[in-house]
Amino acid sequence: MSRTTALRGPVTVWTVLKWTLAIAIAIVAVFPIWWMFNVVFSQPGEPVSLNPRLWPTSLSAGIDKIRMIFTETGYLGAYFISITYALLTIVGVLLIASLAAFEFSLFKFPGRRIMFGIVMLALMVPTAVTIIPTYLLTSRLGWLNTMQGLVVPGLASAFGLFMLVQFMRAVPKEMIEAARLDGAGHFQIYWHVALPLCSNAMITLAILTFIQTWGNYMWPLIIGTRTEMYTVGQVVGMFNSPLSHHTVDTVMTANLLAAIPPLLFFLIFQRKIVEGIAMSGTKG
Amino acid sequence: MSFRRYLPHYLMIAPFMILFAAFFLYPILSGLFYSFHDWNGVKAPEFVGLGNYDRILVSREFLRAMGNLFFYIAITVPLGIFVALGLALLVDSFTGRWANFFRNAFFMPVVLPAFLAATIWRWIYAPNFGLLNMILGWFGVPSVNFLNDTGSMIYALVAVDIWVSAGFNMVIILAGLKNIPTELYEAARLDGASKMQQITHITIPMLGPVLFFVFTYGLISAMQVFDKPWLLTGSSFTSYGGRRNALLFPVMDMMGRAFGGVKFGEAAAYGFLLTVAIVFVTALMFALRAWSERK
Amino acid sequence: MRTNTTLRAAIAGATLLAAGGAGAAFAQDVTLEYWVYSDFAQGDALAMQQEFIKEFTDAHPGVKVNITGKGDDDLTAGQVAGAASGNLPDVFMNAQHIGAQLVEVGALANIYDKFMALPEDVRNQFDKDALATCMPKPDELYCLPYTGFGSLLFRNLTVLEKAGIDTTTPPTTWDEWFAQMQKVKEAGMFAIPDETLVFNSIGEIYATSGNSQTWGFNWDNHTTRIDEATMTKVLQKFVDMAPLNTGTSRNDQATKDLFISNQLAFHTIGPWVNPTYEEAAKSSGLKYDFVLIPGDTAGKTGGVRSYEIVGVAPGPNEEVAFEFASFITEKTQMARWAKLLSRYNANAAAMADPEVSALPLIRVSVEAAHGAMDLAAPYFVDTMPSCYNSTVIDYASATTDGEYTPAEGAKEMIAELNGCLAQ
Repeated sequence: MSRTTALRGPVTVWTVLKWTLAIAIAIVAVFPIWWMFNVVFSQPGEPVSLNPRLWPTSLSAGIDKIRMIFTETGYLGAYFISITYALLTIVGVLLIASLAAFEFSLFKFPGRRIMFGIVMLALMVPTAVTIIPTYLLTSRLGWLNTMQGLVVPGLASAFGLFMLVQFMRAVPKEMIEAARLDGAGHFQIYWHVALPLCSNAMITLAILTFIQTWGNYMWPLIIGTRTEMYTVGQVVGMFNSPLSHHTVDTVMTANLLAAIPPLLFFLIFQRKIVEGIAMSGTKG
Repeated sequence: MSFRRYLPHYLMIAPFMILFAAFFLYPILSGLFYSFHDWNGVKAPEFVGLGNYDRILVSREFLRAMGNLFFYIAITVPLGIFVALGLALLVDSFTGRWANFFRNAFFMPVVLPAFLAATIWRWIYAPNFGLLNMILGWFGVPSVNFLNDTGSMIYALVAVDIWVSAGFNMVIILAGLKNIPTELYEAARLDGASKMQQITHITIPMLGPVLFFVFTYGLISAMQVFDKPWLLTGSSFTSYGGRRNALLFPVMDMMGRAFGGVKFGEAAAYGFLLTVAIVFVTALMFALRAWSERK
Repeated sequence: MRTNTTLRAAIAGATLLAAGGAGAAFAQDVTLEYWVYSDFAQGDALAMQQEFIKEFTDAHPGVKVNITGKGDDDLTAGQVAGAASGNLPDVFMNAQHIGAQLVEVGALANIYDKFMALPEDVRNQFDKDALATCMPKPDELYCLPYTGFGSLLFRNLTVLEKAGIDTTTPPTTWDEWFAQMQKVKEAGMFAIPDETLVFNSIGEIYATSGNSQTWGFNWDNHTTRIDEATMTKVLQKFVDMAPLNTGTSRNDQATKDLFISNQLAFHTIGPWVNPTYEEAAKSSGLKYDFVLIPGDTAGKTGGVRSYEIVGVAPGPNEEVAFEFASFITEKTQMARWAKLLSRYNANAAAMADPEVSALPLIRVSVEAAHGAMDLAAPYFVDTMPSCYNSTVIDYASATTDGEYTPAEGAKEMIAELNGCLAQ
């Protein structure tokens, strides 16, 4: 169905219902965010929860708040740390998890089932159990307040492995056999056959990893104790304390600024998410 | 001999498995060790046998948290899937620019920091003059204190949960939808099947594996729910769970015991009790799937 | 050693810099990690903290101080984790009621001897009650009390006038206050937030009848000090207030919004809400003031008090860390600090400084803190179990829900609190 038929086709009850529903849900999804945006662009001291704000009331007040946050807190530095942290994690997770997923999904070798089972089991242990032992280990390695301390302990992502295994199962066995007959080595098959077939799944995982790393709070909090290692989450956390002397619109500004990079990351890659899963899926 | 044959496989999984062993397996095992000890993170662990487990199992908070948890997952997981599936079908029925627009709009809440989502919803839920109560007021519904009325708190959490996660699951299900061969629908249409029949007889069965993945992962993460109820109730390490502990969940209690009470051994024991519950429920899901597939 | 002390005492008379001067003995380079509340690491507050640091490091060549701000729970998590791995900050802030946890994990050094080595007039600058809360035993001192608060009663004057209440004199007794609340309700507005939702606000109302001796813990036999008769009376107050309240907690943004938009008469909370109300007064003409929370009898004050503390970690830097801690808590700094933020603190001498005591928020806060009840005393003895606060909240809520009579609620609450503490 092309767009024109969708718009010009016969207007049935179903079409009306569909559009009403879609628009209503879009409002439910987006309006609260728009509202928050309006709170940022308003004078401080106005009650925020009582009247639905449909439009920003003071552009300059919002800009002042943003400028204040950028100049008085280490927000820009935190952007840098957070983006580096997220990108390094993405590269590491994609590489390490895809190598392992390639093996777990496409080959049989002794210990495969048990190892995969243990990794899956680990997915079910709450982080709260492991955070202190992991922290103590990282600190013994001398990695407190370092980028490797932030990144390395999170690289063996059980979620990433789980997800990529699901996708790599769809890689046709014949293609691997064909490549082997052509004389390709094991690693070459991974690199030249499996990875390209799953490139879209990899992009999906990259986006999910970005969002996950960006939202990670507790780990950076105890690993990066110095201001120069603060992530965006921590800088925002400084505004969010319950007894904060800040007025609420300033707190919201700090929070909203934190949502921008993941939003951009999503908007840039969003087309590839759906296409990605669809393409590699068709082979299964 | 055979080891040499398998060597390339082991080399490829080595980076993952080594990092996994060091940063997940070892901490889990040492957590297990500490769960049998009285340990505050600093002093030498003191063996207490099953003392930690004992204390947790009889504590009122644990029972309350587990009760809340099972009630919560019983609603949020199926409802979440249902909404996500609905959204995916809805988006799928549009084409081109509008499909794109609605997909982006529905996905928007996913990228918000949890704190922001919670703050937004605290305001929406405010009694008397909050957005939701204002809308209800137009229809003559008296004000509901969503976040402090013990009868409504858990539903208020479920709504936030679905608001945030529906877009995420929708994207995965959408991808699954694209995999269904269009010939199936054409054949059904020729047989005179209605739209509803197409959905129940083709779409849902064909989506089975994707829905199972979304369901399982959703279940595992719902059982570890922490930040949304923590923030919605304005919790801190010394006081958490909301009015009358109506939004107390196991991981919240665990974090409180760990950092508020500096009882890391007890928190670890708590974690393993929860792990056992998660493993049990997940295993049950797998068994159910196997059973239904055999049918 | 002795000469050093005498020398110090000799110079110390006046300024803080003098005390710092004696510390110039630290020849080697030392970097102090200094953790403060996030509020203190932003804007003007940060600028002043950096000024203090500069003055201190100028007087102590070779010493560097790194300031880092963290939110409330983040301070605790960071300090507990830091204690576990041996990476503690050298000087840090936290709340009094977290003190016992920090002592338990070895994050706080006993600074009693170092403190006693300070000149007497420096020691005497501290508020006696505040300092006493840092001392679980006569020869143990785990903190220097820093900023603090006593709960205040914020009054929306427009609402009160609309309800026909004379606002010139604040209510002096609970009965008078409660009568005003009822009048406000009759006039169609909200009297007060739901005080049963948050531990601190339950304490604030409890203090209208009880006092520090009937609140907090008996660590000798692990029981609560809450008195059954007093709690019964207080639970009755919650029941009485139930129809008058907003349904939101004192910390909710919605509560502040109701106050700002002239629909809520009273808000009991600490001074941190004042910047919000000040902004509202400027932008929307909010008319409000802050007074003492009235108690059962005239002259008695309700409300709770609590202090933020400055602690020193044990370790090689302990000596210079203490020098720094005593520098920032000394009168000159505390007076400048109080003036900048309009915040009450534990340095009584600084509070008596005419320029400081001229600030209305501080003047009322000093009185409020003196009359208020300690939030969770005694401090630094034993860790409060996580079930404690939630049990108090639970029974207060259940009683207002009508599940218990106040007498039953008080009885059950105390029994369960004792069970919780006995664990």
